[in-house]
Amino acid sequence: MSDSFERTLEGLTRVAGVRAALVVDADAGVPVAAEVAADVAAPALAALSASAFRRSRRAAESASFGAVETLQLEAESGHVIVAAAADVLVVVVAEPDAQLGRIRLEARRTADGLR
Amino acid sequence: MRRGDLGPLVAALRGPVETFVREAKVRVALLVNGSGQILAQHGLTSSYEVANVASLAAAAHASARALAGLTGAERWTHLHHAGRTRQLFLAPFRTPAEELILVAIFDEDSSLGLVGVFFEQFARTVAALPEFSLRGPEVTAESFEQELEAGLRHVLPPEWLDEG
Repeated sequence: MSDSFERTLEGLTRVAGVRAALVVDADAGVPVAAEVAADVAAPALAALSASAFRRSRRAAESASFGAVETLQLEAESGHVIVAAAADVLVVVVAEPDAQLGRIRLEARRTADGLR
Repeated sequence: MRRGDLGPLVAALRGPVETFVREAKVRVALLVNGSGQILAQHGLTSSYEVANVASLAAAAHASARALAGLTGAERWTHLHHAGRTRQLFLAPFRTPAEELILVAIFDEDSSLGLVGVFFEQFARTVAALPEFSLRGPEVTAESFEQELEAGLRHVLPPEWLDEG
């Protein structure tokens, strides 16, 4: 099962500037599959991304915005993109100068493939 | 036995426990040693609950350790039980002085991953406390009951202890 998740991450990790790509159990906040650079702590990234996504979803519900499909966090030294699938999330960490449009597209495509 | 030095130890744990509760967003946190002595607690509302959870945590730890030995797993890292609304996380960690067990109860505001990540930080912080730098004497059958009592008296408000 995890092998098939890892295969689905291959498209994402081939994009220039991607430092980590994970499939995360949305409720538990633990990694199901991960392709990450050596300096990326996958368990912490999975847990905190899932937590941030849950809170964003609640905020969107409170504002009657409907379902949250994608969450993008912009920081000084990079980006975190979270795309929702059924019971899992696709989490991508990218360099600041990465092709964000392409990464978002690939993250969305990967998430849709996991539905 | 830790009855003599329990006061400073309980005080030193207050900050790390508060940080863990806040960051991991858990409802209950309880720290006990291998004999069930209570060193810190947050979120339980009576001495009866605290004493019961502490004893059951120590028993679950002993059972899990025996099970790990039987199955060839050298050491278990955590137990997780997911209920319908609340989840239980129970994890042992080593300090230079002794092995401790953290029990955390959380709901939909947190997750197993979040609790696990902040547990790792908590365990490192506690293991580095000067109060846990020296190994204490072994617990004997005679000292067991006294240690449980001493833990309750240091961790719980006095009015709770008058309840029973």
